[in-house]
Amino acid sequence: MGKARRPVQIIVLLCIVILGAYAINSAVAGRSSDKPVVGGKPPAMKLLGLDGKVHTLDEYKGKALVINFWATWCTYCVNEMPALQKQWEKWRDQGVVVLGINTGEDRMTVTNFTQQLGTDFPIWFDFDNEAVRDYGVVPMPTTFFVDKTGRIASIREGELNLSTLDTQIQQLVQTEG
Amino acid sequence: MALIENTKCECGHQNRVGTVLCESCGKPLDNSGESQALLEMRYDGVARRSQRVNPNFIDRIWNFFSSVKVAVYLILFTLLGAMLGTIFEQESNFINFDPSTFYKNKYGQIGEIYYKLGLSHTYESWWFVLLLVMIGASLVICSLDRVLPLYKALSKQRIRKHLQFLTRQKVVYQGPIHEGEETDWVERAVKPLRRKRYRVHAEKDALLAEKQRFSRWGPYIIHIGLIVFLLAVLFRGLPGLHLDQHYWFPEGEKTKISGTNLYLENEKFTVEYYSQDEMSEDFRKTGKEVPKMFETKAILYECTANCDDPSKQPQLREVKRHAIQVNDPLSYKGLSAYQFDFDLTPKLRSVQPVLVNKVTGEQYGKFKLEMNNPQQEFKLGPYTLELKNKFLDFSLNEQGQPISKSKDPNAPAFLFLVKGPDIPEEGSQFIYFPKQIDKERFQQDAINEKLGGLQNKLQIDVLGMEDVDFIASSSYLNIRIDRAMPFVWLGLGIVMLGLIMSFYWQHRRIWLRIDDGILTLGAHTTKNWFGMRREVSSFLAAMGIEADEKSLENGGK
Repeated sequence: MGKARRPVQIIVLLCIVILGAYAINSAVAGRSSDKPVVGGKPPAMKLLGLDGKVHTLDEYKGKALVINFWATWCTYCVNEMPALQKQWEKWRDQGVVVLGINTGEDRMTVTNFTQQLGTDFPIWFDFDNEAVRDYGVVPMPTTFFVDKTGRIASIREGELNLSTLDTQIQQLVQTEG
Repeated sequence: MALIENTKCECGHQNRVGTVLCESCGKPLDNSGESQALLEMRYDGVARRSQRVNPNFIDRIWNFFSSVKVAVYLILFTLLGAMLGTIFEQESNFINFDPSTFYKNKYGQIGEIYYKLGLSHTYESWWFVLLLVMIGASLVICSLDRVLPLYKALSKQRIRKHLQFLTRQKVVYQGPIHEGEETDWVERAVKPLRRKRYRVHAEKDALLAEKQRFSRWGPYIIHIGLIVFLLAVLFRGLPGLHLDQHYWFPEGEKTKISGTNLYLENEKFTVEYYSQDEMSEDFRKTGKEVPKMFETKAILYECTANCDDPSKQPQLREVKRHAIQVNDPLSYKGLSAYQFDFDLTPKLRSVQPVLVNKVTGEQYGKFKLEMNNPQQEFKLGPYTLELKNKFLDFSLNEQGQPISKSKDPNAPAFLFLVKGPDIPEEGSQFIYFPKQIDKERFQQDAINEKLGGLQNKLQIDVLGMEDVDFIASSSYLNIRIDRAMPFVWLGLGIVMLGLIMSFYWQHRRIWLRIDDGILTLGAHTTKNWFGMRREVSSFLAAMGIEADEKSLENGGK
């Protein structure tokens, strides 16, 4: 009878250890809420693009991403738009995608704005501010740099100038998947 | 050589290490043989499963958690930890704040230390959760270690127990029986015991009567309930099980609750303030206005189609209506919406102006101009208005270009391309500020003069307030989903069941044997010894033996 007990003991202890580790981990992780962190994966999004089609991040698998949260009424966002467009033109052939997430504005406003500025990188509409919530964006602009393996390499809050953008993207491209 | 306890009983049964009373005949294994002390009847004297001669590593862990003493310490430490978390408010009480400065500013040095020690999030800290997990482990192992041997011991009880087992019970009677009655005494004893609802097992000259054994399982049922409770509490953080978010719900709008397929509409928000005479003199002087009641008439919708496709309008079906007040949330399938705050700043939703020919005085329209997602083309009489751009919070930047300062319609402006009679073929631009104050502030006419001079020919006008639609207020609701709650209640329910089982019933047993005309009776109960003595006394009386209740008390001498 002593022999039959051993596996039971081990199984029970293993269950406790696994469940316990999970509970501790999720409690500690839950504290920092679900905001994405450097080294983590960008939360999934399913949004309508400026092109009228529905998009998800899966389309850009294997590419480096510069996800920029912006709005037309945000001066700093508007200021960095030309820099983003320049970098998009410079790096797009090397598997870098600049992705603008417009936060809660309507189609006309965004279309007019992009036409005026002449930007042509993809822009998605976050009508319900769901992505803003999932990404924990507080100040605008906030930019997430995602490397080709799909990990967040850095998160930058505030306006980015051409040279910082360039170095950031340079680093992204170097960390090959 | 290490001392190996002799665990073989005189009846020939080989007991396991840690056994107090022989598993078979019940003879006390305390070796002295002389002792008359009361028996240790816990777990019916059987060894806990983890008690071993040579415990190895796993046995030691098992033993650690199996110990009641350890469990008590774990509970004490958990209580202590939980108390620490009540000293200052926890981080989870706040929505947006910076804990690194908050505690220092509010409580000074102590607050700083409190924060640095991580006590500002006591209940989410690794050590607190670890304590809970250890209590859980202790519950599981304690129970397994005891309930299985106990179950075995109780399900195969020998009827004829060792004489010492009987005489060292707490309730004992020993005395001669009338001559000639030896043979059928046991047989006759069955009936009165059955009348007292005992299950009776009789042999030739020995008997075991037992009732309400199930109450022995009460503590283990409690443990199961506590385990369910703990699991529910520890795993409410699983994705989809828990949500705690705050949203603004503008009046009259359907707002999506992210992470669900539900939409909530704030149909009407009302707030009532305390009147002057309801306030005390002192309070009136402060000049504060205090809301007495605020209420959101809310409608909850469930999305039935196109929910996951942002290019289409979702199809919504009303599932619940409720007037949400403080402490009276809307509840639907585990989701609760609590009143949290409100904002009474009105926001323009839409205007319905008309187009006026200034020369003839003719009016065309009304046409509806929404602040968000406005229609882009309006045909009004002979004129066509094409909406080219809009600025919800109109301003001019340093380069003199029109921009919007925010996303709120504080100073909305609409730029149209107007085509029609007396207007150049390619059309002429015209800016329109729905708010009168903005028209003057930004000089609508002056701008239009520069744009194409239409201000002398045409005018866009709102005729009356009924053509202006405001979002009168916004309600701030706390949306919570706690799908673990039913399991918490289930766990507590099981605990209650276990408590009732072990509180209101007692496992009572009576053993008796007749040796050479001498009756020996021992009785045991899990509690209520008075009741047990009374029952034995009345049973003996039924058998023709006078035994005073008090005289049955063995007292352990």
